[in-house]
Amino acid sequence: MRDLSDEEGHVSLTERRGAGIRCTVAALLVGLALGCGKAERVDPTEATFAEFTKRIDDFVALRNRLADSVGQLDPTGTPAEITARSTRLANAIIAARPNAKAGDIFTPEVATIIATMIKEEYSRRPAPVIETRGDAQEELPNFIPQVDSLYPTTYPLATFPATLLPLLPRLPEQLEYRVVGRYLVLRDIEANLIIDLMPNALPAVE
Amino acid sequence: MKLLSRIVLAALALWLPASAVAQEVTLPQRKGSVRFAVLGDVGTGDKAQYTVASQIATFRKKFPFTFAIMLGDNLYGSDRPQDYQRKFEVPYKPLLDDGVEFHAALGNHDDPNQRYYKPFNLGGQRYTTFKKGSVRFFVLDSNYLDPEQVQWLEKELAASGSDWKIAYFHHPLYTTARRGPEVELRTILEPIFVKHGVEVVFQGHEHIYERIKPQKGIYYFTAGGSAKLRSGDTRPGELVEVGFATDRSFMLVEVDGDELYFQTISGAGRTVDQGVIRRRASAKPPLPPSPKVTASKARVKPKAAVPATKPAVPAPTKPTPSPM
Repeated sequence: MRDLSDEEGHVSLTERRGAGIRCTVAALLVGLALGCGKAERVDPTEATFAEFTKRIDDFVALRNRLADSVGQLDPTGTPAEITARSTRLANAIIAARPNAKAGDIFTPEVATIIATMIKEEYSRRPAPVIETRGDAQEELPNFIPQVDSLYPTTYPLATFPATLLPLLPRLPEQLEYRVVGRYLVLRDIEANLIIDLMPNALPAVE
Repeated sequence: MKLLSRIVLAALALWLPASAVAQEVTLPQRKGSVRFAVLGDVGTGDKAQYTVASQIATFRKKFPFTFAIMLGDNLYGSDRPQDYQRKFEVPYKPLLDDGVEFHAALGNHDDPNQRYYKPFNLGGQRYTTFKKGSVRFFVLDSNYLDPEQVQWLEKELAASGSDWKIAYFHHPLYTTARRGPEVELRTILEPIFVKHGVEVVFQGHEHIYERIKPQKGIYYFTAGGSAKLRSGDTRPGELVEVGFATDRSFMLVEVDGDELYFQTISGAGRTVDQGVIRRRASAKPPLPPSPKVTASKARVKPKAAVPATKPAVPAPTKPTPSPM
């Protein structure tokens, strides 16, 4: 949201009166919209992350409803039962989001902020750390993640950079971030399903 | 005929390493002690895993440990129900049948849903803690060290009182193996371990055995060679007290009072490292270094004794063997 008092300082003296009226009207409208008497500064990153969190919450609400419908996970179940339930949940999520596509949760606004954040974080890390992060990808075959596809169970899950994790928006326990090549992936853990992804999120590592 | 001789030779090759080598347990086996085995990176389902598993079962007859800790990569490749059988339940059947408990950590090859697999005793969590006698274990998920896990660890360590504190997880904070240490994890975990008095850390991921020289008072063991082997992938030097990378390996550990005894055994049943660690709190003078290493070409002779001015971190030494 723009700060009207800052903008007022840039208008010429001859225009000041008219501009002042316009600003007053605008401030009133904004004030009415906010339910208070003055315009407030809102951090654009915060607003974008709030939108991201809302999209995450909406997804989790949906997947929790679906989890109820396929039967809650029985922690005492056999591997066969847990795998079968995971598959049922993944199928239910896929069916419930027929038009799901990359960027539904990592919107372009979120993606821009996260990519910048990651790039800056990488630039602060010493060479051995960057090298280790690159090594973590070594065991991953040439794998291109897709939205609503299962994370291949025969592939390892590359270790997530531990000092990067606290900088990213916090996720509910049902979801996790993963790195696949230069993709940042959002994964539903129990369903083993890729629910969104961000290409070129990570800098190229030699 | 040629085929028959090949079969006979193959059978001999399988039988000889496990039988022709002296299988001595050098741990003291004191009454009431906490005894466990350490296995790392086991889940291949291949012959090597089965051979080491058989060796562990053989040693358990002489050293009846009650539980085993697993350092991650419990199931390589797919983890279908039949994989749980082939890569875990079948090779360790003699141990499972005898009631040995397994406590697994998750590795980068493990689906986090393994936390629901009851025999891994993770209780549905990616990270957990459990206590055996006077020893408190902290099982971490080094694959995804989120802020919640770090907070949890701080809280649990602070609440753990005067128990022995042993942490274990998959990725090594210190190693000389090719892929190198996880420096990033170290920057987060090491200060917490130091602050709360963690004495010993077991780590996997690298398919070798290494005993790292104490770092900030903490003993680190890399023991990720219980099925896979990256031959020769340890570099003797400033960091490594003992390295072994010519065969697979596993560890036997016994904790009695303020002493932790360890014995590292190769896939062929040879002792490749052994010693004792005393709790820092006990502040006893250090015993001489140089653990007796038998039958290992990869033996790394310690370069210097730990000075007597550092009584808090005594160097390992050969424990007094005691008969069964």
